Amino acid sequence: MTATAFPPQFKRETHTINGLNTTVLTAGSGPPLVFFHGAGIWHGVNFALPWTEKFRVIIPFHPGLGEADDDPAMTDIHDYVMHYLDLFDTLGLEKLNLVGFSLGGWLAANFAVGHGHRVERLVLVGPAGLRGKERPKGDLFLLPPEKIPAMLVSNFDVIKPFLPDNPNDLDFMGARYREGGTLARLWWEHPYDKKLPRYMHRLTMPTLLVWGDEDKLIPPAQAQIWQSFIPKADIQIFKGAGHLVLDEKREAVDAVQRFLS
Amino acid sequence: MDGTVRFDFMHFMPYVHLPENHKDYKSTWVDFPNKYYDPKKGHALYQRYLSELVIADQVGFDAVVVNEHHNTAYSMMAAPNLIAAAVIPQIKNAKICVWGTPPNLEYPNRLAEEYAMLDVMSEGRLEVAFPLGTGMEYWANPINPATARDRHREAIDIILQAWTQDGPTTYYGDFYTYRYLNPWPRPYQKPYPPCYIVGTGSQETIDLAAKLGFGYSSVFVTKQRALELNQNLRRLAAEHGHHIRPEQLPVQVIAYVAETKEKAEQEAVEHLRYFFEDALRTTPTFLAPPGYLSVAELKKRAALADKLHGAFNFDNINESFFVAVGTADQVVGQLEEWGERLGTNHFNILGAIGNMPHWKVVKNLNFFGQDVIPRMRGRAAAQRRVAAE
Repeated sequence: MTATAFPPQFKRETHTINGLNTTVLTAGSGPPLVFFHGAGIWHGVNFALPWTEKFRVIIPFHPGLGEADDDPAMTDIHDYVMHYLDLFDTLGLEKLNLVGFSLGGWLAANFAVGHGHRVERLVLVGPAGLRGKERPKGDLFLLPPEKIPAMLVSNFDVIKPFLPDNPNDLDFMGARYREGGTLARLWWEHPYDKKLPRYMHRLTMPTLLVWGDEDKLIPPAQAQIWQSFIPKADIQIFKGAGHLVLDEKREAVDAVQRFLS
Repeated sequence: MDGTVRFDFMHFMPYVHLPENHKDYKSTWVDFPNKYYDPKKGHALYQRYLSELVIADQVGFDAVVVNEHHNTAYSMMAAPNLIAAAVIPQIKNAKICVWGTPPNLEYPNRLAEEYAMLDVMSEGRLEVAFPLGTGMEYWANPINPATARDRHREAIDIILQAWTQDGPTTYYGDFYTYRYLNPWPRPYQKPYPPCYIVGTGSQETIDLAAKLGFGYSSVFVTKQRALELNQNLRRLAAEHGHHIRPEQLPVQVIAYVAETKEKAEQEAVEHLRYFFEDALRTTPTFLAPPGYLSVAELKKRAALADKLHGAFNFDNINESFFVAVGTADQVVGQLEEWGERLGTNHFNILGAIGNMPHWKVVKNLNFFGQDVIPRMRGRAAAQRRVAAE
């Protein structure tokens, strides 16, 4: 590992939320922009630095992932929605811009379905959560862990600095395995959200769907399915990018910023 | 049965007719294509394997043991209760050990019913074990590996409630709700058949056996780990007010007996190789589905060069596991030594190794029946007499 996944501009705060230690990264000032990360956050948040010029960027680690503690009792996406209601109260966030990537996109959509009055604008980047025709392509659990990194990007060099030199690195393997357990509690039975489409008409805030055209995990064709359920959603697809479109394409980061400004 | 030494014969009933290209597959479990299963060959194998269980009874084994696996050529016993039901009318003396169906992969009331049926049908000769199941089972069954241990405990709780309390009772759990828990029939043995936890010696399974006062049927544990396991279980069970008897701690031994050591090795080693290299061949991902192991346990297992799954070196296997291949004298010596060290008098013999042909299995069973078992019983009886004087 040669790169810094979490740049020093981000300050770490730890809050105890319903008994659970939760680490939050924050940087910048301006209107709040909350970023919900995906199922893995080892590739870091360098992509988010440009946002800190105009926004107070807040990146919480989801329970059971990254630097957050485990809570085996959280077995449902709605447990995470409740967790964020508590965290936002603690942070004093009433209204916010919400950007969710992959698993974080599924979570952001669920949060916004229930608490839309708090979400000014919503950005879903390669969101997980829908049962598309392309299934089971996007089922992480069908992939051996060692094959996952290459599935995330178009250009492997983008994430290589965040991976251990030794592919059998026990600490890295153990950390990913722990996160796999968190994900299994959430979506082993159904790697999609059967109920979400039923309620997506409630996403009445301006919404942007962002995708990489080479997304090998959740195909960009799913953008239209999401759009069909959401009252007003624009789609922006970025060429030459995989699932980690924000890490791979600065244009995508800028597009999110323009949409939120 | 002689109360001081107990011999079980365990069969895995493998489907041994692997295609020529089978080495192209990293695993003979989970995703190994079932197009390679030929039911005609399967029928012949069932006939043969069932007869081997019957022979084990006839030559003097105290019990026959079957267990459950899914999606694999390793075992044709996806439903071990069916095997047990098929042999009960043919087996006159031996106990029938279903060690067993993971109780969280089945509706607990149904498992309580099926085991009670077998216990009644066999006139109280059933023993059951409650495995968590290998990681592979969770890729084949629609049960979440991340909550499997909690579900496993709850399922056992329900089965014991069904067997110990007069029905109907209610159960409102995290995984199951019963408004009328009232299974018919009820077990022949009172309060219920002897029970074991099955495992590889993880702390979680030892704690569970200790709490319930169950036996512990260890599978593929190294010699060192077996020793620690038995010591831990005795100590922890005592803390829960349970005394663990020697026969509750069966030691699993891969054994083959022939006229000479050389002959025994010559006849057995190729099948041991098949067993470890081919029948047990699987991937790290299949072995450890997400949430199935603690992170510490995963790292421990990943750090060890895996001696068990897909690699074979006879010396390593011999060194690490309980393998007794030799003359009857030598095998008796090894079993006595291990029994003494582990504090057990209960030997679970894997005597049908891998793709071993019928004649070798029968030969092995006969050596056990004529030499090993009577000799060990005789010596145990002599020791008892000495102790009594």
